[in-house]
Amino acid sequence: MKGMGRREFLRSSGVGLGVGLLAGGCATAVTGDFAPKSGRRVVVIGGGWGGATAAKYVRLGDPSIEVILLEPNRQFISCPFSNLVLSGVRTLDSMTFDYSGLRRHGVRVLHEAAGAIDPATRRVRVGEGSLEYDRLVVAPGVEFQWEQVDGLAQNQDKVLHAWKAGPQTQALADQLRAMPDGGVFVLSIPPAAYRCPPGPYERACQVAWYLKQNKPKSKLIILDANQNIISKTALFRAAWREYPNIDYRASNKVVKVDPSVREVTTDFGDKVKYDVVNLIPPQRAGTIAVQADLVGADKRWCEVNHLTFESVKAPNIHVIGDSTIGLPVPKSGNVANAMGKVAAVAIVHRLNGKQPPELAPGNTCYSWVNDREAIAVVNTYKIENGKVVQIEQKLTPGQSVAVAQNSLGWARSIWSDVIG
Amino acid sequence: MQFVITIVLVLATVSVVAAGPLDSPGAMKALNCSACHGFGGQSAVDTMPILSGLWPEYFKKAIADYASAKRPSVEMEPYAKQVMQFGVDDYAAYFGGLKREPTRIKVDATAAGRGRVAAQPCVICHGPEGRGDRAKLIPDLAGQPPGYLKNQMMLFREDKRSPGDPSLKAIKELMKSLSDDTMADLAAYYSSLR
Repeated sequence: MKGMGRREFLRSSGVGLGVGLLAGGCATAVTGDFAPKSGRRVVVIGGGWGGATAAKYVRLGDPSIEVILLEPNRQFISCPFSNLVLSGVRTLDSMTFDYSGLRRHGVRVLHEAAGAIDPATRRVRVGEGSLEYDRLVVAPGVEFQWEQVDGLAQNQDKVLHAWKAGPQTQALADQLRAMPDGGVFVLSIPPAAYRCPPGPYERACQVAWYLKQNKPKSKLIILDANQNIISKTALFRAAWREYPNIDYRASNKVVKVDPSVREVTTDFGDKVKYDVVNLIPPQRAGTIAVQADLVGADKRWCEVNHLTFESVKAPNIHVIGDSTIGLPVPKSGNVANAMGKVAAVAIVHRLNGKQPPELAPGNTCYSWVNDREAIAVVNTYKIENGKVVQIEQKLTPGQSVAVAQNSLGWARSIWSDVIG
Repeated sequence: MQFVITIVLVLATVSVVAAGPLDSPGAMKALNCSACHGFGGQSAVDTMPILSGLWPEYFKKAIADYASAKRPSVEMEPYAKQVMQFGVDDYAAYFGGLKREPTRIKVDATAAGRGRVAAQPCVICHGPEGRGDRAKLIPDLAGQPPGYLKNQMMLFREDKRSPGDPSLKAIKELMKSLSDDTMADLAAYYSSLR
């Protein structure tokens, strides 16, 4: 079954329907509660790594709880592994899934955007109508701070981020392929914190590998707003020895882009010409989290209770995934998946009048450094005095085919855990 | 009063019925494991071992070996330490209490046939059906994913699994005598056993 619109959802769920609506009225015109609550209900905003996992695991934990997932996209496209689409090592199709797996777990998937949250009445606005919840999971991922780079907001169609896997990933791959040999590819890395700390450096490997194989006179200029490679530093440095076509410039924050002259400007005033630019913008929590004032004083990220992922600012609302801050964990898909499970267990306990257990996340993170070898970092955590604390971080001693093979098993398994 | 008692009984029954698959301490703690090993440890991928149905004492030995790096693994060492931190007994009881479904990874029947012939030396320790020996903590290989089995054989051959352990000298010598193809045949055979 393909994705469901609100009207089909209402029809199949058989709740809260006026006869006129069933006879062909427009669902988007429905005001008030378009699916009145009959029992306990969890609404999940965002069907990415965290939200999809939370939705599934609430159902696994207590099938008597109704779960409605709001996700505008009809397909789940994995950000992990999407850098390999740029080099042509993998296709986007190989990491694209639908939401039928969640439906088999009894999650009601509604392909609509959540409009606003009203914590006082425990309702989420959807179009002109609203959905009531007992517990809300907010998992909107990141939003880009377009305004931080002069010229970016008005040129979003030309200056690609490819930092949310999907059409932009393929478009950037196409731009790379169309670039003449001898061309310059500029990759701009935003200041931390941003989604997937090692992601830009893995991307650099994939672009550099592609250029080395296919356009040997070309080069990759990396303009990094950070002072150094911020994840797997020594391993990436070692991998880059194979890529003399990389020109890495730390502490070079891009503040302006002008596609009409194909040029970016750094905060030092340096101007860098490009043939293809990939500008990963600075980031903050997804817009709905900001609008609902779930973000802290920085107006960027959401603080949460480390044991339950309940927002410290609003009752009955859990925030998970890349939108969170304050835990010693990276913004990664694996962490979002782990947070989704911890939050789901906490929600099931809360809705059954029980005290949630103390659980902590883990993170397994692979980066491919060419077409067949990868590196990895693994972190696990415990709870100390109510806070998430790291137990250990372990890095692979070097890059290897074996690690890359392990990453394939990890991907197939965790994709199934999230969306299967 | 009769009415009240009836209500209480009904609620108690509902509460039992509503007991879900995450209700035991081990089930909740083991949720991190499912990212790689599948829900309930029922791995659906070739390279990740199935944890459901593992003897608790074997599970605990494996976790202790990973945590101490006796069995070196960048991925498993931090997770094993986390399992120890949260209480390995709960995890061991949870996975041990689940029935192991054999892997759904398909193997080539001809390769499995060759593996059955090549498995003669393995029978001494792992038994005629590959079921191992619980008392000696010799693992049950039947139905595990073939990729995982082959990886372990290669680690033994290269002395990367429990390096220097004298109790594993014989299996490592045996593995050194095997070609990659024979290892693949053996993996197909033990994976195909039901």
